[in-house]
Amino acid sequence: MKNKMVGLIYTGQRADQLRDLTRTRAVASLPMIGRYRLIDFPLASMLHSGIKNIGIITQKNYHSLMDHLGSGREWDLHGKRSGMTILPPYMTSDNIGVYEGLLDALRSNLNFLRRSTERYIVVSDSVFLYSVDFTRMLEDHIARGADLTLLYSKERSIRRHGSGNYLDIDQDGVVHQLEFDPSLPHYENTYLSCFLIRRELLIALVDRAVSGGFHLFFNELLSQMLRENRYRVVGFECPNKVWMIDSIASYYSANMDFLCAKNRALIFNRERPVWTKLRDEMPAQYAPGSKVSNSLIADGCLIEGEVYDSILFRGVTVRAGAVVRNCIVMQDSVIQRGAQTENVILDKQVNIQENARLISSPSYPLVVPKDMSI
Amino acid sequence: MVNKKSCVAMLLAGGQGSRLGVLTHQTAKPAIPFGGKYRIIDFPLSNCANSGIDVVGVLTQWQPLELNAYIGSGSPWDLDLSSGGVFVLPPYMKQEASEWYSGTANAIYQNLPFIEQYDPDYVLILSGDHIYKMDYAEMLASHIATQSACTIAVRPVPWEEAHRFGLMNTDENDRIIEFEEKPKNPKSNKASMGVYVFTWTKLREYLTSDERNPSSSKDFGKNVIPSMLAAGEKMSAYSFDGYWKDVGTIDSLWEANMDLLKKPVPINLHDRSWRIYARNVGMPPHYVFPSGSVENSLITEGCEIAGQVSGSVLSAGVVVEEGAQVIDSVIMPFAVIRKGAVVRRAIVAESAQIGENARVGEAEGQIAVVGNNVRLADGAVLPAGEQAGN
Repeated sequence: MKNKMVGLIYTGQRADQLRDLTRTRAVASLPMIGRYRLIDFPLASMLHSGIKNIGIITQKNYHSLMDHLGSGREWDLHGKRSGMTILPPYMTSDNIGVYEGLLDALRSNLNFLRRSTERYIVVSDSVFLYSVDFTRMLEDHIARGADLTLLYSKERSIRRHGSGNYLDIDQDGVVHQLEFDPSLPHYENTYLSCFLIRRELLIALVDRAVSGGFHLFFNELLSQMLRENRYRVVGFECPNKVWMIDSIASYYSANMDFLCAKNRALIFNRERPVWTKLRDEMPAQYAPGSKVSNSLIADGCLIEGEVYDSILFRGVTVRAGAVVRNCIVMQDSVIQRGAQTENVILDKQVNIQENARLISSPSYPLVVPKDMSI
Repeated sequence: MVNKKSCVAMLLAGGQGSRLGVLTHQTAKPAIPFGGKYRIIDFPLSNCANSGIDVVGVLTQWQPLELNAYIGSGSPWDLDLSSGGVFVLPPYMKQEASEWYSGTANAIYQNLPFIEQYDPDYVLILSGDHIYKMDYAEMLASHIATQSACTIAVRPVPWEEAHRFGLMNTDENDRIIEFEEKPKNPKSNKASMGVYVFTWTKLREYLTSDERNPSSSKDFGKNVIPSMLAAGEKMSAYSFDGYWKDVGTIDSLWEANMDLLKKPVPINLHDRSWRIYARNVGMPPHYVFPSGSVENSLITEGCEIAGQVSGSVLSAGVVVEEGAQVIDSVIMPFAVIRKGAVVRRAIVAESAQIGENARVGEAEGQIAVVGNNVRLADGAVLPAGEQAGN
């Protein structure tokens, strides 16, 4: 089937609330659900919707993202008629290489938009986790004669006081009003920072908006489009559950939600695999006497001790007598003999020393930064 | 003419492997899952990749579809190259004769034109039914240093078992003076591992003359090696003392899987300097339910465990439902063990389903085997040593 859509993923969003977790990495490369990075999920939705050309706009801290994506081989995005294009920031006479927002980023990457041949483009950021079929979104876009289709969700858990973008949508699905960062959201529809549009129209809009001095897609360009009433802007509701990763607490609870089989089934299924970077690890090894319950355990783990209600990434070691409860343990971390950890997030390559006790509260989990030894 | 290669590997993957019973009814032996996330062929292919050998011909003829799909472009082993890579070589029609591979030597003979493309100096012959980690580059270096026509990898086996193997009698310089296939009274305990390095010109010469001999069964061990010895060619033994296991029978396949649970483990798969690569199924980490328990086992991606698993090796996507027990068993990809079923000392093949409260295998006795896609009814009983196939 000939490709109708090109994809573009923006990874430049700010993430102040994620603190230590994003100190050395972009939000898009946050480790998720035992073996993934957050960007794997928008990539999966695009791939399963037949999108085979995907641009990835990077901003700062993109080393870990580049390392993760590599040549795009794991996603089958390394062909002649398909591919992944990493679009790092660069300086030009009218651009200092730092994007103030998506619109800025689109302007800097107009060449990618112009060079693509697909009629439509899907633009998404990477703070939301969901699975959506963009072919259905496109059918809807065409059937309703839309100029611009915005993806939204009625999910309550992603509404925030003082932040987020919300849409006023009538019963015909037409978007009339916007709210950005309201102290109390008035509309029930949260915009998922993802839209579908004719590629040529996006180029024209970006050109015009930039000459008008705009930087922000939602607050400035979209507001103006709605005011002018020249374009038909419609909403498309994401039919499945949506998670938003914008704080340590939401990162923790989103991951822990995947201990529930029903949530796993929403994102993972055998016919629609979520691809990620491979590590060629051996299967997880359970020693005699190990105890594990309600946990996700990745390959390469060695479990001699006890693990309850936790997520262990690839290559984690839990030594004999150690007890891990309600924890997220990222790759290659070690919990030594007799140590206890509860309600904590251990970043990569953390070492919890013998008989150490690290206990925090589930509503505000402690984060142990990468490479720390405690 | 393609570019020249010093050494080309040829992997014999064509045999049915009938000693594996129902496991090879629909699958070639090298495609059989092993050790949770591997297939048998991952071992020789990864050894090639790790040894710097980047042209591998895989000779297939029995049930090749799954094997072909598994090998694909060769990318899991970094063998998707412009200048070489992995090639699946089925028998094909030719001007003079069109025939199936009639023996290991004939299979290579029929592919002499493939080897010629690379104008190699040496050819490495491998088989697809052994689990081991071996640096073929070292063996090749030994072959070159001794200026042999053929070098055969050997490993010491216990004297009391030696009579089951092809044995090499050697002089003090490891030169082979005699080859005996399964002798009653062994003079040596150096068993052939089925790994050969040939000087290419010698291999071509002896394969061509063996092909013309109507009484030959066209086999390396039975015909080519003995005739080279008889002609006085320099044949050397290369000793390998690492882990090596033939997995050509139900018992040995089960044992080799169980070896991975031993402490210390006889073959380390966690070795970052010698990774065993495998094609990935793209599944999330495995999940253990509150009702589940796992100990002394290997479990890989996509498994969902609500029952009890101990002393077992589980491949990707295996489901063990609540109240089910999997003990001392090997469970292959996407098999489902329903509620209350008990699987003991058994091999359950790909996508098989064990019905509720069924019993497979016993605490003692021979290994029970459930073949690919077999659905065992609720309450069914498959005693020790029995096989259920399609």
